[in-house]
Amino acid sequence: MNAPLLEIEDLCAEVGGKSIIKDFNLTINEGEVHAIMGPNGAGKSTLSYVLCGKPGYKVTGGSVKFKGKDLLSMSVEERAREGIFLIMQYPVEIPGVPSTTFLKHAVNAIRQHRRQPELDTMEFLKLVREEGRKLGIDNEMLKRAINVGFSGGEKKRMEALEMSILKPDFAILDEADSGLDIDAMKIVAESVNRLRNEQRSMLIITHFQRLLNYVVPDFVHVFADGHIVKSGHKELAQELEQNGYAEYVREK
Amino acid sequence: MDNLVQNINYQNNSAELQKYRKDSLLAFQKQGLPTAKTEAWKYTRIRDLKNDDYQPAPQVNKTGGKVPFTAEIIEICNGYIVSMPKTVSGINIKPITEAAQYLGQTYKAEEYPFAALNGYYLDRGLFIEITGDLKYPLILNYNMVPEDKDYFYHFRNVIICRQGAKAEIIEQFNYQGELKSRYLANIVNEIRLEDKSVLCHYKYQNEAFKANHIALNAVQIAKDGKYESFCLQKGANIARNETFVSLNDEGAEAVVNGAYIMNGWATLDTTTDIYHLKPHTKSSQIVKGVVGGEAKGVFQGRIHIAPDAVATSGTQLHKALLLSDTAEIDVKPELEIFADDVKCSHGAASGELDKEQLFYMRSRGIGEDEAKQILIDAYLNDVINQISDETIKEWFKSLK
Repeated sequence: MNAPLLEIEDLCAEVGGKSIIKDFNLTINEGEVHAIMGPNGAGKSTLSYVLCGKPGYKVTGGSVKFKGKDLLSMSVEERAREGIFLIMQYPVEIPGVPSTTFLKHAVNAIRQHRRQPELDTMEFLKLVREEGRKLGIDNEMLKRAINVGFSGGEKKRMEALEMSILKPDFAILDEADSGLDIDAMKIVAESVNRLRNEQRSMLIITHFQRLLNYVVPDFVHVFADGHIVKSGHKELAQELEQNGYAEYVREK
Repeated sequence: MDNLVQNINYQNNSAELQKYRKDSLLAFQKQGLPTAKTEAWKYTRIRDLKNDDYQPAPQVNKTGGKVPFTAEIIEICNGYIVSMPKTVSGINIKPITEAAQYLGQTYKAEEYPFAALNGYYLDRGLFIEITGDLKYPLILNYNMVPEDKDYFYHFRNVIICRQGAKAEIIEQFNYQGELKSRYLANIVNEIRLEDKSVLCHYKYQNEAFKANHIALNAVQIAKDGKYESFCLQKGANIARNETFVSLNDEGAEAVVNGAYIMNGWATLDTTTDIYHLKPHTKSSQIVKGVVGGEAKGVFQGRIHIAPDAVATSGTQLHKALLLSDTAEIDVKPELEIFADDVKCSHGAASGELDKEQLFYMRSRGIGEDEAKQILIDAYLNDVINQISDETIKEWFKSLK
């Protein structure tokens, strides 16, 4: 069996004083793709933000190890440099910062951390254009301020481009298919599949099974009431699609 | 304030100049230095000029403030002219004392105490007459060499753009040496744009951190004249860049933009006063500031539209980014509209760096300080991008 990449033990977290993640346990080994499915509002996105260290998301208990290191003591940027990448559901617009400028800062911050030489402008542009082409992102789009005025599909393609360039060891896809038409979803799914390998792991957070037809997970978990209530393989996703989440949601 | 009014051996003491200096002194004494009760200065307090032993700055011949592009350069140090460019086609540059007939005509001395004081000391400065289309920007490179004592200097320029002339003038304020002393740099630019002339007036204020920098730009614009200005303020303890524009005839246009960046305890003041006197005149202002530490940013902007000035447009926007809880912004926009059929707007906003944007950048591996700097750069580039000259635009981006 492959070595564990991410080990979450008894994790508890709250947002604004409200307890959202409760005794959450999950281990993801190198090369595995896990999907977490669950009803809307169950706190699936909270889990992704907690793993990224977003300010305002408070861990109240448990531990998370990433490559054997204590993830929870790392800053947001340290986690990213160690290899965690979150495809966000709602990528933020940053007026005045061209996409290329943003990407260059990011890629060089991560390269510096990995003790790789920084890319000069020519090397960087070559890389970003090559990867951009695969995602249907042209030079014109790269010149625009990042995410500003982008359609939902363009935003997700930009997220996929960032991921392709930063080459994380662990990618979290938070409702990566929301707001996408089928063609855009295929493009994003292809970029995810291109990155799949023996070492790299992924966590797909989704409400619908749709994306999982294109990025086939090794494991599927049902998330309700702050933790995993059932685990299985890809067939579980189809079952959920047919039967819904009703049997997993506690009567309130 | 006695120390601010001293007896001087003027280089040129013609009867005409004597009278001008005397009138200026009277105008200054009538007002005195601004106090907390002076409406036009209520946010910017000149605290340390009264009781200190300020002396005229001695003559020093140092040059500095290189720019990465071709330009005609006038070197000024401690308020003394150090060197001038050789003959330049399309421009006549003479000592200010030869501009006696134009002095004090672009503003009212009784409303501007520091300009009045500047008039009393009138002896050094430039009379710049632009007659053609200047190939390279003209740079006024002001240097200050602070020493053990507290110094002041006063400098006056009269800039006239003759009919159809076109020029770019850059004022750059830097210092050299250690930052031991305080000083007062008091600058007055009297600017006239004749019919269809264009003047781009850019300024970089990077004075020493104990300096007082006071500048008045008084601008009179004739038919179809266009004045475009941008001022980046970064230095000094107390600095005020004040621009008074009078749009005197149809088609006259003014762009009065600025940016300021500061920390520590500085007060940086941008004050504008724009008079639309005739129909079909146009003005626009964008000023953006970034304030940290215990610093204070001040913006006072007035647009005045005279009863006859129909079909005019005047816009104004001030935005500030506060980087600390102790930073302060004081904003006073004023619209005085006495005509119908005008388009006028003003807006002001201040806020902090966007937390979601910071998180997004950090989640991609960019360090927190670097992420903040990227956002600040983007914030200021927004106004710097308004500069029409590409080379100068890039230069300002590198300075901020």
